[in-house]
Amino acid sequence: STLPAVAEELLREIKKAFQETSQVPDDLLLGLKFIFGPAAVPALDLVDQRSVTRVRAPSGRILYQVLGSSGKLYTCYSSCHFCTCPAFGFSVLQKSESLLCKHILAVYLSQAMGTCQELAVSEEQLTNILLAEEEDEG
Amino acid sequence: LYRGGLAERLCRLQNRERSAISFWRHQCISDDKIPSDKSGVLIVKILEIFEECTIQVAICQQLEQSPATLSPEDALINAEEPILKVLFTRETAAHLKSRPQDVIHIYPPWQKLLLQNADVPVIMNTYFSQKVLLSEHSEAREKTYGLTKMLIRKNIISLAQTFRLDDLDDKLQRESSDNQVPCAPQTHNNGGSKQHPSALSAVNDSLLEMVESQGAVGWREVQVRVVIQRVYCLPAREGHRSHTQGNKLLCATPVTNSDPPNVRLCLLVQDAYGMFSEVQLQFLSSTDDIEQYCRRWEGKSCCLAGMKILQRTTRGRALGLFSLIDSLWPPVVPVKVPGQSQDCEMMTTNLPPPSFCYILTVQSGEIHVEVDEEEQISNLYQPPAVRGLKEILQIDGCNERCSFWAQVLYRRLQSKHSVPVDQREMLLFVTDSTLQNEVHGVPKVVAVSVTASCVLSMEIIEALSAGSRLVFFKDALWGNGRIICVERTVLLLQKPLLCSAAGADLSELTGPVRLDELDSTTLANSVCALRGTVVGVNESTAFFWPTCNRCGNGKLELCPQDRELLYCNQCSEVVTTPVLKMQLEVFLSCPSRSQSTVKVKVWHEMALFVLLTMLLFLQTYEVQSVLGKEVGLLNCYVHSVTSHPNCVVLEEIVLL
Repeated sequence: STLPAVAEELLREIKKAFQETSQVPDDLLLGLKFIFGPAAVPALDLVDQRSVTRVRAPSGRILYQVLGSSGKLYTCYSSCHFCTCPAFGFSVLQKSESLLCKHILAVYLSQAMGTCQELAVSEEQLTNILLAEEEDEG
Repeated sequence: LYRGGLAERLCRLQNRERSAISFWRHQCISDDKIPSDKSGVLIVKILEIFEECTIQVAICQQLEQSPATLSPEDALINAEEPILKVLFTRETAAHLKSRPQDVIHIYPPWQKLLLQNADVPVIMNTYFSQKVLLSEHSEAREKTYGLTKMLIRKNIISLAQTFRLDDLDDKLQRESSDNQVPCAPQTHNNGGSKQHPSALSAVNDSLLEMVESQGAVGWREVQVRVVIQRVYCLPAREGHRSHTQGNKLLCATPVTNSDPPNVRLCLLVQDAYGMFSEVQLQFLSSTDDIEQYCRRWEGKSCCLAGMKILQRTTRGRALGLFSLIDSLWPPVVPVKVPGQSQDCEMMTTNLPPPSFCYILTVQSGEIHVEVDEEEQISNLYQPPAVRGLKEILQIDGCNERCSFWAQVLYRRLQSKHSVPVDQREMLLFVTDSTLQNEVHGVPKVVAVSVTASCVLSMEIIEALSAGSRLVFFKDALWGNGRIICVERTVLLLQKPLLCSAAGADLSELTGPVRLDELDSTTLANSVCALRGTVVGVNESTAFFWPTCNRCGNGKLELCPQDRELLYCNQCSEVVTTPVLKMQLEVFLSCPSRSQSTVKVKVWHEMALFVLLTMLLFLQTYEVQSVLGKEVGLLNCYVHSVTSHPNCVVLEEIVLL
């Protein structure tokens, strides 16, 4: 497959450009739009608003929480592409129309630009976050 | 949208782009010819198309000039033309309706992206693309194709394929059609990047920082510099063979279950901040190498890379590990304190001992540990503090690690025969000059228990069964009045080059070894010497048997050919002159413990026994002739001591 490698490279370019110049050049932004389509602008907006939090437990387990525009908190996994938002379930899982949802893209962009908020929790708290999603859907 | 942010900027750019696209498309339709401005135009011929998500990926060949200007014969696929991967959005693809063999003109601004591990460049932002029709036939064909839908393969992307943003080594070239000058020089890294340690990022000196920044996913690129405080082996369940190459450890294939149990080489390392970590390396194929590793690696610095976090353990859960860590605390040189500037270091007097420790392991297939064997011993290294046994016996605390150099006098294996030899627990009776030279107050000989979790090399095992040996016990555990060898204790035949020794050389024993004499304080499972008078013989337990005079095999058989001769299976020969061995229990009266009945099992080639064999040979064995005989100092192992009845059961032993 080609697209993931392209997406990864683009994100790396953004990280590199940001590290060197504290800015993201226009052509990379347009590249984001090209590859990720309608998710690009909303993802950047989430980054602008510092909506991404990296949640870390003492064991080293990590997950991300993104505060959506509706005020709802979505959970994104770090070990694979997964988000609890409905758009992910629809566009990515069902239709295979997108690589990521805007929340996962926001996670990557926050990583690239260092705008992740950090939160340290206990193992139990992290487990509860993961289990809470299940309860909602159940 | 957030004001002044990236999202707002992209919105503006996007709007501008959209207007440009529609303007351009409109122009193409109305002009109905190839625009004259040729600069920056990419001319490609599509070879293959597939879809990923909503992006159409076209494998194309880049053409030098438009095929419209070439004759049909020339317009053949030239294998030397470069291959490109051109991406189109769904909208552009719908507009183009491309098929293999179509020629597309891509107008600027397009973008070229070079991927790290691929040779084929990727072309993006291909909004301004136009299909070129070659001839009238094509036009007709085009109209027909427009009606039938072509089936395009769709690749489903795996969710497991996440993006790694933290490769600091990539230097990529990005070309935009507006800017013909490359922004960065092309590197030679593109053709397959190898994980070479020298190409890894800068060396860090904090274990904690690395652990916290990378999490449980595992490190790849970052190296941490640490000091190897201890090298030891831990017993392991599964096996993976490995071999070393110089000062690096490589991991090879896993072993099958039929192989003997493996041990795992481990390092206890400490970083510049004083933090410890146990690094479990890959398995050793033969345990003989441990002494060599200790000698070559302890005290040296090394770089760790690509470690995986196995566990974060705490003091309460890993007493053995922390007793070793405590023996290395406080650090002998000042350590850094996190958060302060690099130059500022703190004295170590106020630092509390560590309460947690990360256990790391290697990820297979890569080189992970590079030890600077040539370099000098690090200042942070704390060699084992050698102490005399007398001093150790007087230690107040519990679970304290101690190292000593002692003479092994007698070895007793546990008697469970179902357990393989190398996994049995054993008792070693040891002494040194500090015990031997004392008149009273300390025992002359101390029992050291070696548990199955203490890994012994074949060399040590053989040495212990062969003869009296001086053995260096590194990091044994003292507690509850006993010395035990557990996990992380290493027995060595040679004293390490570096160890802080106390006073005189304790290995020198002047004169023959003396044991404590049997008395009222003698306990079971100890050794002692005794003297007394034979007061009785337990005739019911007396027996003798012939043994092979060559190998000592006690299980001789009758020769199949001649049933009057004895045959030894181990030598595969007839035994013509067997050595007779006898076992006998005698009751002694010992003045040193006059209240007890002392029963001693004596057997083969013993002081008392010479007399008995002579008698037997002459076939005039009579108990009476033995009674009343004085038995001189016998070395014995105490089987049991009971108070009701007041009885001590011993067995005569040979000291190594």
